[in-house]
Amino acid sequence: MLITQLKSKETIVSLVDGKKIFIINCQGCKEVHFPEKEALELQKELAADGKVTGSITTDYICNPENMKLRLEKHMDAIKAADLVLVFSCGVGVQTIAEYLEDKMVCAACDSCRLPGFQGVTPIEYDCGQCGECYLNLTGGICPITACSKSLLNGQCGGSKNGKCEVDSNMECGWERIYRRLEKIGRLDVLKCPTQVRNYATDDEV
Amino acid sequence: MENYTKYRLKSNDELASVLADIDNLFIIACNKCFKEFETIDEPECAELEKIVSDQGKKVTGSARVDFLCNKTQTERKLQDMIPEGTENVLVISCGLGIQTIADLADKPVYAASNSLNYTGHHGMALTKKNCDACAQCYLNVTGGICPIVDCSKSLVNGQCGGAKNGKCEVDPNKDCAWEKIYRRLEKQGRLSEFLAQPVQLRDYSKVDFKFVNEYVKSIRENRLEGYYGGIHPTERKEFTEHIALQRFPDPETVVIPLSMHAGAPANPVVQVGDTVKVGQVIGESAGFISAPVHSSVSGTVTAIENHGHATRGECLSVVIKSDGKNTLHESIKPNKDLDSLTPDEIVDIIRESGIVGMGGAGFPTSVKLKPNKPIDAVLLNGCECEPLLTADHRVLLEFADDVVFGLKAIVKTVSAEKGIIVIEDNKPDAIELLKAKTADCDNLEVVVAKTKYPQGAEKMLIKRVMKRQVPRGGLPADVGCVVSNISTTKAIADAILKGMPLVERVVTVTGEKLKKPGNYIVKIGTNTKDLIDYCGGITGDDVTIKAGGPMMGFVLSDTNVPIMKGSNGIIVVDSDHTVEQPCIKCGRCADVCPMELSPLYYAKFADQENWQGMKDMNVMDCIECRCCQYICSSKIPLVDKIKAGKNAVRGMK
Repeated sequence: MLITQLKSKETIVSLVDGKKIFIINCQGCKEVHFPEKEALELQKELAADGKVTGSITTDYICNPENMKLRLEKHMDAIKAADLVLVFSCGVGVQTIAEYLEDKMVCAACDSCRLPGFQGVTPIEYDCGQCGECYLNLTGGICPITACSKSLLNGQCGGSKNGKCEVDSNMECGWERIYRRLEKIGRLDVLKCPTQVRNYATDDEV
Repeated sequence: MENYTKYRLKSNDELASVLADIDNLFIIACNKCFKEFETIDEPECAELEKIVSDQGKKVTGSARVDFLCNKTQTERKLQDMIPEGTENVLVISCGLGIQTIADLADKPVYAASNSLNYTGHHGMALTKKNCDACAQCYLNVTGGICPIVDCSKSLVNGQCGGAKNGKCEVDPNKDCAWEKIYRRLEKQGRLSEFLAQPVQLRDYSKVDFKFVNEYVKSIRENRLEGYYGGIHPTERKEFTEHIALQRFPDPETVVIPLSMHAGAPANPVVQVGDTVKVGQVIGESAGFISAPVHSSVSGTVTAIENHGHATRGECLSVVIKSDGKNTLHESIKPNKDLDSLTPDEIVDIIRESGIVGMGGAGFPTSVKLKPNKPIDAVLLNGCECEPLLTADHRVLLEFADDVVFGLKAIVKTVSAEKGIIVIEDNKPDAIELLKAKTADCDNLEVVVAKTKYPQGAEKMLIKRVMKRQVPRGGLPADVGCVVSNISTTKAIADAILKGMPLVERVVTVTGEKLKKPGNYIVKIGTNTKDLIDYCGGITGDDVTIKAGGPMMGFVLSDTNVPIMKGSNGIIVVDSDHTVEQPCIKCGRCADVCPMELSPLYYAKFADQENWQGMKDMNVMDCIECRCCQYICSSKIPLVDKIKAGKNAVRGMK
């Protein structure tokens, strides 16, 4: 899960720079985030210059087999273009770039991480995928994501009326943890010794 | 295939310390997502049960659940899951699932696993391609090879110089990414362009978490607004939504099928050679669930024979050669005014006019309007949530008075307290008009619903508007509702006001592969091919033609079929060439299913011909809305598999 956002118009225009282009839109993860309207507007402007040899809107271009089948009938238009402009996440762009190895394939979007939204749908819980789950010590509320400072060993002391001092719209994660533990009668886990955190990446673990 | 494993059990030592002072444990394991969908049970669950038993602790039970992070579904599953005597809950899942359970269960919840980061694998297919989602895509500079993930040092300005024979010095099994970049750019003749590029500064501040969080919140609200699931495909209604209705030129010949409704086909009551007039009965209703069929032209019956049919393959049909005069049958005369008609009289008029649900299903309206339960609300479905179609939208705009009249008639027939016209927010002109038309009716109102497919499905509509849940296998009447289609309601008005049976309807003829899209008033029995030709014909040769919308329409392999009572649209769209790939358990089908089912199992069970499994997973509740197939990242033809399953389950009885 991730969010794609359009690169700046100047960037895209300078990429195109008078070249003939073929446009590929990927809307497979559309409701995750694809700037559909903005992309369409920009593409209309590009097409007005008469340099667009063709465009398709498809989904899941990260799936190479189906992507190839779908591009097949557009190969003439793709061959006629100097540049293939892909509106998708980085995985999609790389899949196209590998398939159209001889073509200049460019990304029109930047991809932003949705840290923790690895489940089926964006939901209200965050999980930093830290590899060392702390939820046992915190009543099931994650201090990595629920505390703006990701403190693991208790509150910073800066919260006011239960609100975080960094973001006053945010509830203090540690106050939430305390209340939850109080409710389930497990305040004793707060006496647990300091947990040392291992920052090794998943490759190294 | 890659498995994006997302968690693993904590170490024995750590688990031992967690278990030290807790007992009577219930274990919930999430069946992982983004993996080959072969094993349903994850091995970790049994492993943990053993560890817990070895510690001398009591396990009160365990459960394996799909998509634990799906709060709506998990909440329902959790209801009777945890047995009496359980004091603590142990969860094996990524952090999302653990937090979901911690929030829902009223018992202390403990994590038995650690979540792992699967950075970069966010494509929906299980590819090996990585993307770090750095918010500053370099692929344009590097020929589509990502230096952030492919170079072990994530260098963005060229090679480190440490590679030997093209292999990375950090990991000799890895190709040097910068050498790959160089070779690709060389091949494309872009080396000078590349080498002239200034050093790219990297901005580490771009990921705006606030934006991300707010965005996620908004998606979540959309996803759950009114009812669970649903999708919002690109509407593509701009082809026809502003094109006024036009009368399609009278056909020379009409082919009128005797079956355009649910239930028994009508019995023909004319013979070859007979002269018929517009509105004359040519087929009589053949049972309680059936409907009569009327001639849409005046002329001579030239044949009564089997003819191609959009949904049934072939069907006995009456062929009538028009005399071009459209002489009305003597029986066509206005009825008494609505105030002096009794509900039973209205039902009789509707039955004799051959009116059936014109949204596609074709259920006889007269049967629907004689529910055996008290009704308090009549819902008019003005959602038209199918992409491309605009027939109902145009009827609302151009026959608003008839629609309001028809609604009043239905409200009177079922003795409802109120009539509600539900229109999606993508039709502001219709909303404004209907609000004005109903302003002086106390018992009629217009409800604006956020555009979401399949809102027009009656169960979703009732949930969205009335917040009532139609019981499993039940009908709208079970919760005091009647749902009617816009065109059907207009047909009811015609039947009462003019005495005109259902002999014509509004059809949207559209699609990106049709030259001249439009909305037409078409006589029942008109040939679909004539309609397409009249609209300028088709562009290109690789097209798919469907009767109905892109989601629930039927593919027409032959366009030599007549327009019927339920034909709301003919669409000509680009063919999609994909092949079915293995399920990767991304869970999106379960996420969008408005009936809260798990379609991924239907694909699996259909392939195994495990019909009992299909039945156990409530396949009969499926409304065949196609949301699951639309969203499927592996392009599995789920609806076909579900239909096969439903047929087999029906055969089991």
